[in-house]
Amino acid sequence: MGMTLELERRSAEERFHTVFAHLGAVTSYARRRGSKDADALAAEVMTIAWRRLADVPRDDALPWLYATARNLVLAEARLSAPGAGASVHEPERVAATAEPPELDPALAQALRSLSALDRETLLLVAWEDLTPSQAAKALGINPTAFRVRLLRARRRLRASLDRFAADGRPPAALTQLDVEGT
Amino acid sequence: MKKDSTLLRLRKANPYPLPATVDEGDLLARITAQPPDSRLRRRVTPLHRRGLVLGVSFAVMALLASTAYALSTWVFSSAVKPDVTKAEYRRAQDELRLPPGYSWPVLYVDPNSVTSPGAGGGHAVLISQNAWECYWAKAIRNGNTAAQRRAHTELSTLLANNILVAPIGAPEDWRPPNPPDEPYAVFAHDGGLNWIRQTYELAATGNPRRLRQSCRANSPR
Repeated sequence: MGMTLELERRSAEERFHTVFAHLGAVTSYARRRGSKDADALAAEVMTIAWRRLADVPRDDALPWLYATARNLVLAEARLSAPGAGASVHEPERVAATAEPPELDPALAQALRSLSALDRETLLLVAWEDLTPSQAAKALGINPTAFRVRLLRARRRLRASLDRFAADGRPPAALTQLDVEGT
Repeated sequence: MKKDSTLLRLRKANPYPLPATVDEGDLLARITAQPPDSRLRRRVTPLHRRGLVLGVSFAVMALLASTAYALSTWVFSSAVKPDVTKAEYRRAQDELRLPPGYSWPVLYVDPNSVTSPGAGGGHAVLISQNAWECYWAKAIRNGNTAAQRRAHTELSTLLANNILVAPIGAPEDWRPPNPPDEPYAVFAHDGGLNWIRQTYELAATGNPRRLRQSCRANSPR
């Protein structure tokens, strides 16, 4: 019995090593999303992955890790948002506080004008360098829906940038037209 | 997509373009010091492993079917054909017992397959073991103490006389140098046999959970 448990633990540890190899990527993700303590957040993601190893896909753990990290970033932002305790039904408001630092103003404004899901769609591809299939898994949608969302998000971002370039003022708040973010 | 200027601009604006260099320290050790996901455990219990071994054995037999004759001539000089395996299975039925109400299932072996000598007897041993386990579990459920005692005795005898444990590091097709006359099944040296013994001890002392589990997991489908 003891030997069996030891074998099980060793097997789990070997599997977890491949997951843990993504620690750097998850830390980068947290930093890019504006986490206040990216290292701690990435460590928390890895701890969750160990506790829920059966849920982590064997073939490609990265989308699962990013999805978990995203939830933690949102939770962190929710806690530190003005008037913390903001409703969990206000993801747009919460996500707006967890935005990446140090971007050129036009791009920052344009990104801010997108819905949280549109913004994440773009960033998963542009910054995390995920394939559309991986990014779709990270968002929990199917790849076709992801491609459609990506196309729309690109158009919206471009429109916002164009408008900002033309007027020199922030784009209209598209989020009001895009509550669900599809 | 990569030529899209908006995406390119966004890529270039990545505030942390390089993967983070992290000081892992003892993080990995601290995380793995916690208990692993308990759901993983269910997948590798000896009971399931035993069922898996049976399944794999038959899958291998099926795989060998297409080239059985060539392989038996060129490679597996000790392999036996289906009629031998079936004869072993039948012979084992004379030496092993099944509980009242149980009967020997038909052993299907692909006509063009070969397998190791003794596999027919080994299969019969595992059939008998599983039948007595199920009989015991049923006797516990019905409160039939005489049947419980009999099943325990039969299984103890079976473990003592018809189960062998391969040496540490032995190959999967290990056979004893001097095979016994009675039918036998070979277990890997991975603690599985001890686990089964514990299962029976627990059942005998009023905790039949693992016994019922073994009955279900290893019953012929």
